[in-house]
Amino acid sequence: MFKDLDPILHSQLRLAAISILISVKEAEFTFIKEQTKATAGNLSVQLNKLKEAGYIEITKQFKNNYPLTVCKITAQGISAFEEYVKALRSYMPDDNK
Amino acid sequence: MEESFNEKQSLELITGMINKAKNKFSESGMLYLVWGIAILFCSLVQFFLSSLMGFKNVYYVWFLTWPVYIYQAIFLYKKKKKETVKTYTDEILGYVWICFIICFFVMIFILIYSKRFELIYSAILVIYAIPTFLSGAILKVKSLLIGGICCWALAALSMFIPLQYHLLLISIAVILAWIIPGLYLRNKYLAQNKLAQQS
Repeated sequence: MFKDLDPILHSQLRLAAISILISVKEAEFTFIKEQTKATAGNLSVQLNKLKEAGYIEITKQFKNNYPLTVCKITAQGISAFEEYVKALRSYMPDDNK
Repeated sequence: MEESFNEKQSLELITGMINKAKNKFSESGMLYLVWGIAILFCSLVQFFLSSLMGFKNVYYVWFLTWPVYIYQAIFLYKKKKKETVKTYTDEILGYVWICFIICFFVMIFILIYSKRFELIYSAILVIYAIPTFLSGAILKVKSLLIGGICCWALAALSMFIPLQYHLLLISIAVILAWIIPGLYLRNKYLAQNKLAQQS
């Protein structure tokens, strides 16, 4: 039986960002921007959506007097990601499972 | 990057991003090389001055490592300033090296306090092996794993070798455990940076 895909995660940029954050302890905004090759404005909007859903934490800090945005996945984000991958696998043919 | 995409593309995107983050190799090998060369130099100088030329109190040669501490502090500060991502690997490795430094100084203190000077180099070899072996396991670098095992083997061997030659065992250990893996890590790091610049 096919499961519904979480609409928050089923978006390329949000999924890319959460996939990065699940692999690291925390990442700066610039790192995610570099890896996803997204524009700053678009990435900012998508990260805020993930934050509103409770999937990531965003903290604003200062580094060498410059503002710095650090993102970290939450426990809720981890379980949502796991559920998403599980749901994705239900769409795959058996040999890919 | 907002157009709709199918389930297969989703899985590919996840795998691709995880690999990008996972393959970000932040170990430049620089500290392995700097410390390896510094310890190799000090141990060889002490060996030649004390064992071959008969000088006494040549322990002062180890004060030459002080500039390396300063270099390390500056190096780590600069590295932290440049870092845009903190991986679990970096965090665990940091704790491994903190454990090494604490074990090293506590062990030296215990041996000096109990006047067991003859065991100092053997103990140092045992302790060198721990962060080297663990770093090899965490970073999946075979030369570090082998280096760690060599340190343990040299520590055991030191029981059958006259004390005056123990410093040579330290020299061999740093070549095997830090300098050779350091060169490997340095090359890997430079190759990764070159690739990143090209893409």
